[in-house]
Amino acid sequence: MIKQSKDVKNKQRIFGEGSKKYFRPQTKEGLIEILEDYEKDFTIIAGGTDLLVANFDKLHEIDDWLDLNWIDDFKEIKIYDDKVEIGSMVTHERLYKLDKIKELFPVLQKAASDVGSPQIRSRGTIGGNIVTSSPAGDLLPPLMVYDAKMKIISKEGERTVDINEFFTGPKKNVLNKGEILEKIILPLKDENQKGVWIKVGKRKALVISSISLALNLVFEDERIIKNSKICIGSAAPVPLRITKAEDYLNNKEIKKVNPEKLGKIVAEEIKPIDDIRGTAKYRRQTINNITQSAFREVINS
Amino acid sequence: MKMELTVNGEKRTLDVKPHTRLLDLLREDLGLTGTKEGCGKGECGACTVIMNNKAVASCLVLAIQADGAEVLTVEGLSKGEKLHPIQESFIEKGAVQCGFCIPGMIMSSKKLLDENINPTDDDIKRGLSGNICRCTGYVKIIDAVKSAAHKMKSGGGDNG
Repeated sequence: MIKQSKDVKNKQRIFGEGSKKYFRPQTKEGLIEILEDYEKDFTIIAGGTDLLVANFDKLHEIDDWLDLNWIDDFKEIKIYDDKVEIGSMVTHERLYKLDKIKELFPVLQKAASDVGSPQIRSRGTIGGNIVTSSPAGDLLPPLMVYDAKMKIISKEGERTVDINEFFTGPKKNVLNKGEILEKIILPLKDENQKGVWIKVGKRKALVISSISLALNLVFEDERIIKNSKICIGSAAPVPLRITKAEDYLNNKEIKKVNPEKLGKIVAEEIKPIDDIRGTAKYRRQTINNITQSAFREVINS
Repeated sequence: MKMELTVNGEKRTLDVKPHTRLLDLLREDLGLTGTKEGCGKGECGACTVIMNNKAVASCLVLAIQADGAEVLTVEGLSKGEKLHPIQESFIEKGAVQCGFCIPGMIMSSKKLLDENINPTDDDIKRGLSGNICRCTGYVKIIDAVKSAAHKMKSGGGDNG
């Protein structure tokens, strides 16, 4: 078969017979060739910790698997002077265990260490967390406060999307069919910044957040907030930046910030719903409280 | 789909379907029924095995994803009749009630102690946070892990 020789050339591997197939490209080029050669409605698997749960009783109905786990390039973390690039297939476990991530992006590191359980963190990936696009995705608020950019590839080429433009609704995003998230780019700025991550759930482990908060403050002279970013998870159809609270904090002396007022602004701005993880009322009250404690924690750290 | 993996030190060649889970491969194709299916959704930890030195929920791994991998299940811990110190400690401390969660608890404990032979209570709780026991045996389980750590440090860890 012609397909065979091409597969060998590109180190692609295609398994399965008949209608059920499993595609496992081993390079980015191999992945693009599969996308070029097969007009299929692929079920794309990263860590599988959401996908296999969502399809628990119908795994056998999936026709064409496209597995990103064999692409080593997608597992790399590259640190440059002005940015850090995190491959989409980097696991939560690697993210939170890496000292450099803890040093440069502590909010992201803490969020990764709080995801699921050891068994989930060893498989679940940053790319999977982003593409699943749950409003409760734990890495999403930290990536929003760090101004992450998403590098997306397809057979047509590539494009970069700001994470603030990426999510369009619960489990919805701007990715088109045939587009794959290759890596996440986090800009590095030479600034004095401090951040905090708070996740509230019914248990400490294996819990989908009832509400979560990522806060990052950039300081000038230790006492003035030059820039602030605050993003709340599980509080709206998408992870929600609270620009009104950011405006309140920006260019303000720390001692002139009223944490109660800050908490109130955030609580008013979120758009929570009632669901099994908490009522809207509970979420508003809780976010008010944790916003205040997050702010106090940052300025006292 | 033909695949090859090493399970408990033994090379195995198997024929799997794209949707076969690692859990199904272990239990049904290889008859290694020590690994349990609890929830099937990665929440209970009963199906925990160690794959390429990572603790994984085998219900959330496709069998084909373990192609070329090294997998350790609870059956691979003992050496003949000699139990692994973790297994011994679970028995000695009475950390077993119905037993269904225990293979997963033991594999998570193994992973934890491989990385940290001096765990605090909090380390143990975090290490086992992906494993649920519904008979309520956590106190004795934590005791057992501490006891196993002690044994493995003082030379009983030839199995570890």
